[in-house]
Parts: sequence; C-alpha cells; structure tokens
Amino acid sequence: MTGFRPGQYCIAGLGVTEQGRHLGLPPRELRRRALEAALADAGLTRADVDGYIGTSSEMFEDLRHLGLAPRFGYTMQTGGATPAWSIINAMGAIAMGQAEVVACGYASAPTGGFLRRADGSAGGYGDFAYGYGGEYGLIGAAGAHALHARRHMERYGTTSRHLGAVAVAARSHAVDRPGTVGYGQPITIEDHQASRLIVDPLRLLDCCRDTDGGVVVLVTTTERARDLPCRPVTVLGAGSGHQLRNWWSGEVWDLHDDVAPAKATAFGQAGVTVDDIDVAQIYDPFTISVIMQLEAYGFCGPGEGGPFVESGATRVGGTIPTNTGGGQHSGFYCTGFTAICEAVWQLRGEGGATQVEGAEVALVTGHGGHGGIQNTSTHATLILGVDR
Amino acid sequence: MSAETSTETDAGAGPLPAGAPDELDRPFWEACRRHELLVHRCEVCGRAYWPATCCVEHGGDAMAWVPAAGTGTLHTWTVYHHAYTAQHADRVPYIVAVVRLDEGPFVHTGLVDCPPEACRVGLPVEVVFEDRADGTTLPYFRPAG
Repeated sequence: MTGFRPGQYCIAGLGVTEQGRHLGLPPRELRRRALEAALADAGLTRADVDGYIGTSSEMFEDLRHLGLAPRFGYTMQTGGATPAWSIINAMGAIAMGQAEVVACGYASAPTGGFLRRADGSAGGYGDFAYGYGGEYGLIGAAGAHALHARRHMERYGTTSRHLGAVAVAARSHAVDRPGTVGYGQPITIEDHQASRLIVDPLRLLDCCRDTDGGVVVLVTTTERARDLPCRPVTVLGAGSGHQLRNWWSGEVWDLHDDVAPAKATAFGQAGVTVDDIDVAQIYDPFTISVIMQLEAYGFCGPGEGGPFVESGATRVGGTIPTNTGGGQHSGFYCTGFTAICEAVWQLRGEGGATQVEGAEVALVTGHGGHGGIQNTSTHATLILGVDR
Repeated sequence: MSAETSTETDAGAGPLPAGAPDELDRPFWEACRRHELLVHRCEVCGRAYWPATCCVEHGGDAMAWVPAAGTGTLHTWTVYHHAYTAQHADRVPYIVAVVRLDEGPFVHTGLVDCPPEACRVGLPVEVVFEDRADGTTLPYFRPAG
C-alpha cells in the first residue's frame, strides 16, 4: 500500500471558461482564462504554481502565454482519462516534493478549426486510432461505441429507447443549467427516436457535441488549502484500468472499459462502496457509455443499465443522480474535465437547479483513446469528497 | 520464420494500405494480394493474433505468419449512415463489423453481401478479397456458404 491517505490532497481551485460552440478563441487563450479563474477561485497567485501538467499536446508555448514560472511542465495523453490522470500525477509530484501547487490545464476549440496534432498539422478523426478499421470506414468515436451498443442490445435486449432514456435524462439536468448546450432546450424520447441514424444503433441524440472551452484545476495538499480562502474538494481515492486487458481476454465488446481494477483501487483507497456514492459523474460521449459504466460499477446488474436509466434512477431525486450537469452529452465537452467540474460543483453545493442535497462523495470516471482496435484505452476513477 | 525475417524478405514488394503505420504487417498485406488470409501465431502455445503483435504469454521470439481458414463469426457490427470521409461516401450505408476468426483473433472489417437486418451475433462468415485501384487488397467478409 502507498502512503496515500484519503483526503490528503485536494482540488483547491477550479477555473472554467465559457463552454460552447464557436467561441472564437484559440485553446491557449482559453487555458489562460481558465488558469486565472482557477487562481482566483483558490486564492493563489501565479507564483504559487510550481508545477504544470498540460492535457493538450501544444503546451510548451502555454507556459509563457500563461505567465507561469513553474519548476516543471509536461503534457499527458491518455484520452479522456487524461484529466483524472493529471490529478493523480499532480498528487504524485507533490508527494515527491517536486511541487506544492500543480496546475492541470486543458482547453480545446474544435469548432473554431483549432484541432491540431502535435506536429502542427490538422487533426483528424483517426488520430487516436490504430489498426486498420479506418480502411473499412470505421471512422470516429461514434462508430467504435456503436459496436459496443449493438452487442449490448444483442446480448441483453437493450433498445434504442433505453439509449434515448440516457439522452433525455442528461438533457433534463442541463435544461436548467445556464451555460450548457442543453440549457433551455428539453428533449423527449420521441425527439430521440426521430433523430437521424449516424452509426446504427446510435442516433444523433445519442452523441455529444464538440464544444470549445478550457478548464484548469489547482491541486495541492488539503493542509495547504485550509489556509486559503477556498473550498477544497478532496481526493479520497483514484484508480485505473486498461481496456487492452479485455482485448486479450476477448471481452472487449462485452465491457465498455476496464472498470474492475480502476474501481477496486479507487474505492479501496477511499474505503467506500457504491452505496456511499451520492453523485456519479460518468464519462458520456455516447449514451451507451453511461449504461455500460453504471453496470460495471455495480449501480445495477449486468444488462440492466437501460431499464435502470429508463426508471429514472439516474435523475436528480433518483437512487444515483448521474451527470447532474448534463454531462458531455448535454452539458459541455471538456473531455474528462466535464465530470470533474460537475463533481466539484456538486460537492461545493454549487450545482444550481440540479444540486443534490447533501452530496459528500462523488464518483468521477474518464476513458478515452477512441477508434483504436479495442475502442477505449485507459479508464480512470476518482472518488472526490468534501473536506471535513 | 520470425516476424523480423518475413518483414525483411517481403519489404517493398507492393503498396501497403494507407493505415499501415510501418512494415510490420507487410506479410499479411502481401498475402492478401494473393487472396490468402494470414494470422500472426505464437508457435509455442498456438495462440493467434492480428495485427502483428507479440504473444502475451511467450513474447515475440516464436511469432510466425501462418495461413488462416478465412472463416469466423460475426461478433458485433454497426451500420454507417453518415459519411465522415469522401473515400467512404459512395458506400453509405455500409457495415463495419468485428469478426472473430475461427483461429481466435478479432478482425475489424467490412461485411458485404449481407443486408443489415440479416446481421446477428454468431453469424458464420467467410473472407472475400477486394482488389483496390491503389494496388492493395482488402479482406472483407460475407455470410458463409
């Protein structure tokens, strides 16, 4: 066992820019604005930031543009698990005496034409892929997730309406949350069923939309944060698993992610069970992702995810309020930071119209690396809590 | 014959698919040009893989490209109704499938000669080769028999 103690480290500051389509701002400017918002939120200054972890590839110019003078800076890339892993890395750097405050920054502006690879060329749908699926037109994350959705339907009788229930639930949360893509725009199951097929069985309303935006979280020790004018959200546990394990075992399309080891480590560190989770913020680029993760974490049984969501269990007021800000589907797409932001807001009581009363323990998940032969890559779990 | 040996032997013989990251899968693609399907097999335990890899149990020393039966079952699939690239626009709607070869490995492929409503998990399928204008040959699958 490591020397990690639940609650030892925390998110002391959260900075979130405007999130939406066609903001007209380049990513590094979004990161700068997110950093300043995070510093203000934590009551820290640029001089306090002695570590910087970028979760986008083009960060070396960032440090100058952001006006930072850290002791180190590097980027990470493990798909949608990167934000959770940046926080894990930040805690590790602090534990090793390399920093006291680490900024984990992200921004993207795909709707502004700012999608770029590390070498500066224009990014494309196959960027996170390997294998030869692209030769056959297996392009984009939707198709890779459709393979999971189809097999889930064949194995368990999950229906398009079950998938639609996920979309309607997500939208029902976003509709009263200003700043989300779903704000003021409710949808019904009939809207979902009438939306066009993209990659059967996924319809347009099964898919999240790319949005522009930036996020910075500031990670430090809870002891340090208690001296700041901030409301720390503590890390109770973290864990990870890799979908290649299921690729080798032949279960890669039966399991959306390699949740089991991620959950075991994170829940074990935190000393919690699923019954202790007050809110679940689940990585949800597509509706099937929510259904299969709810099953994998044990909120319902295998194959029961569709009826479980349809029953209203994941709505605010249900047994496990899930993606209370609308998630990526109806909130905003900030890769794994979407779930982290909403968990922080819920634990601070800042969830607005969809605040879950008394939320003290939040589950955050992230996965990514779409389009590769095994669909997702790393899955990461964070258990976040309130500082007692 | 090791993977390294076969790569050297066949290097430069013909074009590779655009998605090929390097030469490591070249023996597979050269065989496709001859309308033969290969798998990458560990000669210690007999476990077969695709694309080129090393055995999770025995490493890379005993990997060899060997003929596959060209038959398998449909594991899952999706029907593309949206063309993300011009290359595939004239095929819409088209089926992207995962086939489990009888030798064991999964293969991402296309399913042809099969209406979407005839798709089911476990459907027996067989390989069919498509020679393309760029000089590459791509293995597709169709319902067997």
